[in-house]
Amino acid sequence: MRPYFEKMDPFGKELKKGELKRTEDNIKEIEAAEGKINEAVDKIKHVGLPTEKINSRGQMTVWQRLDYLVDEGTWCPLHSLYNPLDNEEGTTNVVDGIGKISGKWAIIIGFDNKLMAGAWMPGQSENILRVTDLSKRLNLPLVWIVNCSGAKLPEQEKFYANRRGAGTPFYRHAELEQMGIPVLAGIYGTNPAGGGYQSISPTILFAHKDCNIAVGGAGIVSGMAPQGGFNSEMAEALIEKAKTHKAKPPGSAKTHYDETGFFRYVYEEEKGVLDGLKDYMKDMPAYNPKFFRVAEPKAPAYPENDIMRLLPIEPKRIYDFDQILSRLVDGGEHSEFRPDYGPEVYTGICKIDGFLVACIGNRQGYLGKGYPEYADYPGIGGKLYRQGLIKMNEFITLCGRDRIPIMWFQDTSGIDVGDIAEKAELLGLGQSQIYSIQQTDVPMMLVVLRKGSAAAHYVMGGPTANRHNAFTLGTIATEIYVMHGETAAVASYARRLVKEKEAGNPLDPVIDNMNALADKYHETSRPLFCAKHGLVDEIVNLKDLRKYMVAFAGGAYQNPKSICPQHQMILPRIIKG
Amino acid sequence: MSEEVLAPMAGKIIKMNIEVGSQVEEDEEIIIIEAMKMETPIFAPCDGKITKIMKKEGDEIEEDDQIAIIE
Repeated sequence: MRPYFEKMDPFGKELKKGELKRTEDNIKEIEAAEGKINEAVDKIKHVGLPTEKINSRGQMTVWQRLDYLVDEGTWCPLHSLYNPLDNEEGTTNVVDGIGKISGKWAIIIGFDNKLMAGAWMPGQSENILRVTDLSKRLNLPLVWIVNCSGAKLPEQEKFYANRRGAGTPFYRHAELEQMGIPVLAGIYGTNPAGGGYQSISPTILFAHKDCNIAVGGAGIVSGMAPQGGFNSEMAEALIEKAKTHKAKPPGSAKTHYDETGFFRYVYEEEKGVLDGLKDYMKDMPAYNPKFFRVAEPKAPAYPENDIMRLLPIEPKRIYDFDQILSRLVDGGEHSEFRPDYGPEVYTGICKIDGFLVACIGNRQGYLGKGYPEYADYPGIGGKLYRQGLIKMNEFITLCGRDRIPIMWFQDTSGIDVGDIAEKAELLGLGQSQIYSIQQTDVPMMLVVLRKGSAAAHYVMGGPTANRHNAFTLGTIATEIYVMHGETAAVASYARRLVKEKEAGNPLDPVIDNMNALADKYHETSRPLFCAKHGLVDEIVNLKDLRKYMVAFAGGAYQNPKSICPQHQMILPRIIKG
Repeated sequence: MSEEVLAPMAGKIIKMNIEVGSQVEEDEEIIIIEAMKMETPIFAPCDGKITKIMKKEGDEIEEDDQIAIIE
């Protein structure tokens, strides 16, 4: 299949002098906005005790452990700003991402031992479940850095129980193991109760000599059974007991190495634990990349930083999606599927790091005379019409057949609406696309370049496609909502305006409500909100987009559960005709 | 030699960055049209001087309408 993949069709073009000049301001705006996101991420990194304090105890921080563990230049953090239950600390207290260890891709997660010694916190289990889902979707080992003091007791009601509570990850670990996906754990510090199960549920346990894992901790002063409340007499008694309470934490490394044998290894040094993980990662099941590569990896043909010029931060401005994609894929090469049909969406196969991937993205701007063919109004990119939906359905289905991972790029205002659109079957075609995605069982990633809106956000591989969507990235221009805030205000208050007008009442209170709703939509659709609430898994600087695409493609092809021989693929032949 | 600046689509002119006599460079953004809630910029097709402008900000235009001429 060399003729199909080695040299594909070049696309994209160099930026002209005029484009370079007029896009200078866009770069400045993007850099300023990305700077604010980076500051927010940096703040979370420094939450809790200072690094020096942790180091003075002879311990490394989670960040230092990750830095030592992960191959240089491969770390792609996820969920950096995820904090769905609005913890005052600004974090769920786990750090996770995808990266290489000893040359193999892995999903990596660790407790932040700087903050409450890595305690469970509200929102954390949901964060962990996203991570176990990712490991499952990409069939990649899950590597834990456990250092978990147990539940943050004053807020246990928010996370201890429930269907997706703090116990659910242990079931997910079991599920991964049943599927043949190993879960490795490097264990540090004191890990009682929940921390104990966090430690015991993985597949192979690498322990530091000072760690312990146990069903329960030693920190609870005994002899204080509930008596219906507290009084000063009891407080005095408690003080006396607490002063004399000295208990060694149960479940030491010695116990679980010599007695139970739960720990496969115990290491004297903190780095030894990480070396143990690295050593095991060398032997994780993984194909040599050459098994699946269709060509030698190439850098994009044009500067990746061009994207900062090509993606207007102003949401109403149109742009050329093909130009952006050409800056992200190997050699600026592709094979476009049905270029003469459904012009509002790009569908094509490209290469990332030499691996074949499918790309789908919304094109922007006027779509030309007579399109959509079923309507008497003009079509504009960003919206989905009948042909675009049919084209995507075909393309997705063929990608499933050929086992090609899919990368989605959303900037969509929705699917065409109105009676004409209904007659053109758009409602049915949207759900057909969901069915098409569901039946592929190939991994997908999504980049919400700007807008993710209405049902189009669902049908274009959004996070709601969570059996297929490995992760969703946002950019500084991302905005996600059911519809624009002003549209929502009109939908909500137009009739009220009529009623108040007819009753001779002042309109100002209604107008105030409309403005308040529009403002709320604005606030709750911005990148920081999206990241905090998990509408995206990470806000990524534009210059780093390709790095995540490389991680996704490498991960998806490391140990896929099903394969299609290159010479038996049908999609490239359909494109060729 | 003159070159026409034509409307690429129907819409409303929301910004004119040129006036008669303006010198423009190829690919310079000279006009912005709004249609279907999106802004479509029109770029100068060549270097030159604006010799005639047939439309103004706020005008509704049709596809292929003449907007300006560059000499």
